[in-house]
Amino acid sequence: MAFGYHGSYLRIDVSSGTSEYVPLSDAVLRQYLGGSGLGVKLLLDEGAAIMDPLSPEAPLIFAFSPLVGSPLTTSAKFAVVSKSPLTGRINDSLASSGFAIAGKRCGCDAIVIVGRAPELSVLVIDDRSVRLESAEEYRGATCQATESALKAHLGANYRVASIGPAGENLVRYATISHDGRHAGRGGSGAVLGSKNIKAIALRGTQRAEWANPGELTTISKSLSKRSFGPATAKYRELGTATNLLTFNRFGALPTRNFQSGTFDEAASLSPEQLSTTRSKTRESCVSCTIGCEHIYSLGSGGVRVEYESLFALGSLCGVGDSDAVLRASKRCDELGLDTISTGGTIAFAMECVERGWLREPWLKFGDGNALLRAIDLIGSRQGIGNLLADGSRRAAHAIGHGSIDFAPQVKGLEIPGYEPRALQTMALGFAVGARGADHNRSGAYEVDFSDKVDRRNLTLDAVRHAIDTEDKAALMDSMIICKFLRGVFDDFHAESAEMLRSVTGWDVTAEELRATARRIVAAKRQFNLLAGWTLAEDTLPKRFLSTPLPNDPEASLSRELLDSLVNEYHRQRGW
Amino acid sequence: MHVEFLGVPRQRAGISQLEVQADTLGQLLGTLAAKIPPLGEFIAVDRLHSSLVANLNGDQFISDPETPLAAADCVLILSADAGG
Repeated sequence: MAFGYHGSYLRIDVSSGTSEYVPLSDAVLRQYLGGSGLGVKLLLDEGAAIMDPLSPEAPLIFAFSPLVGSPLTTSAKFAVVSKSPLTGRINDSLASSGFAIAGKRCGCDAIVIVGRAPELSVLVIDDRSVRLESAEEYRGATCQATESALKAHLGANYRVASIGPAGENLVRYATISHDGRHAGRGGSGAVLGSKNIKAIALRGTQRAEWANPGELTTISKSLSKRSFGPATAKYRELGTATNLLTFNRFGALPTRNFQSGTFDEAASLSPEQLSTTRSKTRESCVSCTIGCEHIYSLGSGGVRVEYESLFALGSLCGVGDSDAVLRASKRCDELGLDTISTGGTIAFAMECVERGWLREPWLKFGDGNALLRAIDLIGSRQGIGNLLADGSRRAAHAIGHGSIDFAPQVKGLEIPGYEPRALQTMALGFAVGARGADHNRSGAYEVDFSDKVDRRNLTLDAVRHAIDTEDKAALMDSMIICKFLRGVFDDFHAESAEMLRSVTGWDVTAEELRATARRIVAAKRQFNLLAGWTLAEDTLPKRFLSTPLPNDPEASLSRELLDSLVNEYHRQRGW
Repeated sequence: MHVEFLGVPRQRAGISQLEVQADTLGQLLGTLAAKIPPLGEFIAVDRLHSSLVANLNGDQFISDPETPLAAADCVLILSADAGG
């Protein structure tokens, strides 16, 4: 067995409460590494592509990686992988926390959960012992309250991943939360909820050995040192929220359900402004030296502020009241809701109300109280919330009137904070993304913000750059290290090979890792093909292909251009 | 020409914009490093550190130090990592 791994995964059937450790071969581990890659491989082996993602037999996978537990900065991450109840396609969400380290110390490289518990339960994994406990007393509790209560009950050395009321109510974009972080996109919280599992609490003592600890220490020190440098200054000093003013300046800040690329009230939501009126602290994930989390005061507590939440609950809904937006973000965290899909779906509903197609006159662009009310209704699936809990694509099909043309989604996943007409390499990344519109599986926005392309007048040359960012993301999500480190590497693939060599002992090369990344991207596509994917899904809503941005007539993307980019993408992929 | 800072460069510079005279991008960056020492960490002679990028008039991203600049131009200096 390779160093850095345990060589098995833990498969638990929560219907019966039985579990087994299933061997993983060295060949599989080397081909798929861990995280997203290993998760997709196991999902394919389980035959999940053709299952209803909310059915008992559908697997939900927590996949760790060879680097988890090592001294490498940002490596305490895991992937949650399943078929998405929002998109019906592959879903992999990553998050950082002590849950990753504790999970791997349970002596496995992944945890596969199938079945449906007879009552709402906590899945407790104590080293190699697995049991279910009733979670009835936690029913309806927020993610944070559940985690605190379970640590008080089981012991502070347990690490907990839990769902909030949204996951219990099968909101199709519910998250899984742990240590205040979320495996956010695609509805993994609903999948866990469908299994009647409120939380997973685990602790372990088993360590995977490293092949060359001395070399690993040297690499880790170098990486940590570089993580304090200029390449990560943005994340340390302002956090991701600093994108807000930048994107607004470039007319790329999605506003009022993508009806504009600029927001008059952007400054009031910016970290530069927020820090003049609120106290701020900074936190790091476990094993991270960057510290990108900026926590702003809100009432007697605080709220984690990130760009995607600010854009989705702010400009996209036309809300410039920072207090309302921060409250909305915090409420999403409590309920266990993906802020991007929540904001996207509410903004879509606001536009439907404006057009007279939805009789909820209170749900207006710019109204912070309406935003907060809508979030609570979604979390509880009450009133209009029951429709919106299924996401903008399903809501559009129910509302009709051709509203699907401006439902802000690709493959059912709501579009993150990058205006596709102003950032056209990103538009391609969204269109072809295996899990839908996605800025974490395609970093194509980086290409738009470079001299490699003309972001508003793309040519086919951009396709290879988009593929490169997608492959790089697949590798980072499978090894796993945080993407916020990406700027510190001089040669990402060569340095990644060094890291893996020191941990696993494999004679892995940069070229092998490039092939591994392509294999993982192809595995996701294979899953989608089995799940019913067709080429027609690799596109954007009609709004983006028929209307230039009102504030920037040059930001225009035709269906012909997008189709040609998508076709070239598939040609270069060899699909 | 007009120079506008966004994000970390704005934070470090302590200002959001200023007027500078320069004929090329390289000259401009050299002038900025001299006038605003906190930006020095991000400027190596006549080039930006890879964590920052320069944009001309909101349109074209530029990196070649020989890129000519005109008096009416607006150069934006911002973080390269746009990701969230």
